Amino acid sequence: GGGGGGGGGQRPTDTRSVPQGLVSKLLHLHFKDGKTKVSGDALQLMAELLKIFVVEAAIRSVRQAQAEDLACVDVEQLEKALPQLVGVPGDFLRGGRPAPPTR
Amino acid sequence: MMEEEEGTEEQQRFSYQQRLKAAVHYTVGRLCEEVASDKEMPFSKQTIAAISEVTFRQCENFAKDLEMFARHAKRSTINTEDVKLLARRSNSLLKYITEINEDLAQFNLERKAKKKKKSEDENKNSVEPGEAGVVEIEN
Repeated sequence: GGGGGGGGGQRPTDTRSVPQGLVSKLLHLHFKDGKTKVSGDALQLMAELLKIFVVEAAIRSVRQAQAEDLACVDVEQLEKALPQLVGVPGDFLRGGRPAPPTR
Repeated sequence: MMEEEEGTEEQQRFSYQQRLKAAVHYTVGRLCEEVASDKEMPFSKQTIAAISEVTFRQCENFAKDLEMFARHAKRSTINTEDVKLLARRSNSLLKYITEINEDLAQFNLERKAKKKKKSEDENKNSVEPGEAGVVEIEN
């Protein structure tokens, strides 16, 4: 665990995986209103969300490749895994268990 | 003359986007590498590039939704409630994000308490930006 004086101390989120500066720039790139800002905590949560998104895409592609008995994950496997993840904007966030790999 | 200026602006936005995409690609590559090691299944370069592309595009959806949620609540600062709203459709994701948010809030509270105690002990006034404060990034 963390603790100890000064800076440092362990954060609950491992946001080192997706840098917050990058997340901020990615979001601001698409804001319509120049006044829109993002709170520090929201930024940390979004970094976590994006990490989950990427890892989920990766893991589902691996499952697809394993189901097809392949030695490597190629774009075809991602394409099969993707519709469950992001067929329509927000699909990634749709509830339920991950779908079984498609044949 | 005008065309030239517009062209340069477009070019600048384009190359800025390219730099962001490259940064996303790098991060995605590292995350996929972890998954690949863990599952003992390598990814082709094209796959990593494709995941990176999808992630970049997904950010546009997230950004626009978040901005809309905040505006709907008559705020110009996106907060954690907006992020939770984004995750509402997946029960497990929402639960996970909520837990992280609660840990964060607790973490911030503890940090503030420690800082307050520390500054009281040292008899100094410390001025620090709050963790939950607004982050303004210059584009």
